Amino acid sequence: MAILASLWQSRLYGLEILRALSEKSQLEVAEGTLYPILSRLKAEGLLDSEWVEAEAGHPRKYYWLTSRGRRRAREMAGAWNEFADKLSVLVEPVVGGEER
Amino acid sequence: MTRSAMADARIESYLNHLQSALRGVAPEYREDILREIRAHIMDSAEHSPDHAGAVDRVLRLLGTPEELAARYSAECQLERASRSFSPWLILRTCWNWAKLGIKGALAFFVAVFGYGLALGFTGAVLIKPFMPSKVGMWIGPEGLNIGVPAHPEQMHELLGNYFVPVIAVAAFLSAIGTTHLLRWMMRKRAPGLAVPSDTPTVVAQIQPREAMNLRG
Repeated sequence: MAILASLWQSRLYGLEILRALSEKSQLEVAEGTLYPILSRLKAEGLLDSEWVEAEAGHPRKYYWLTSRGRRRAREMAGAWNEFADKLSVLVEPVVGGEER
Repeated sequence: MTRSAMADARIESYLNHLQSALRGVAPEYREDILREIRAHIMDSAEHSPDHAGAVDRVLRLLGTPEELAARYSAECQLERASRSFSPWLILRTCWNWAKLGIKGALAFFVAVFGYGLALGFTGAVLIKPFMPSKVGMWIGPEGLNIGVPAHPEQMHELLGNYFVPVIAVAAFLSAIGTTHLLRWMMRKRAPGLAVPSDTPTVVAQIQPREAMNLRG
């Protein structure tokens, strides 16, 4: 879900996805984990990709969400929010310091 | 050889190993993977003042070529199996998936139990014509027994002539049900968490950022 969400606003290449995850959500995804997942998400038709020549001297593979990927990201984000809300209710007394 | 040239030699050696470890992957995918990993190593190391150190770090984070290749094949296989109806492919995939964590282990258990049940039922149907009076669905003091009980004299057979069709349908349903359940489990698994639990050098799927200062 985090990977799909990181591609919501723009197309990114692998290293940018890692940076986006680490900067925005403090999620550290190891590179050895990320690339196989990207390749699978692409095989599932949730992502598409294209090699783009960059000024760095070598091309980079950019990924973006397909319409199916957008739909899936939206579903997952909804489910995540629902889960987070329920958990917040559960931890509220703990945070508030209420004793039984 | 300078430190930087040695680092470049390490990159080439890493990619060569990765290429041989990816033997099972279709050639066009393999080239694409190698190209992408090469670009990633270059991008990660290019702005670092300590080129050799940055190369070492990114190679460590990628895991060994064998680990990386195994992860690619596991992801590919899960994707393929989740669309397949072949119990053999599904069972093999579950076995590989089981090595990656608890969900996979559960899936493998479901696979062994479900397909084992289907196989047992099929076996009972096949031997029924040869041992018509011994094979059956028996009920007795020891509970229900489908197959050949040790003490048929204490038990009562329930299905009679319906044994073959009923148990054949049961075998079919348990095979189909297991397949659907496993395909569902494969599709529902959280993407991004399929990480081997026994390879601490590469795990780091979710760690506090302090634990792994990715880029200097």
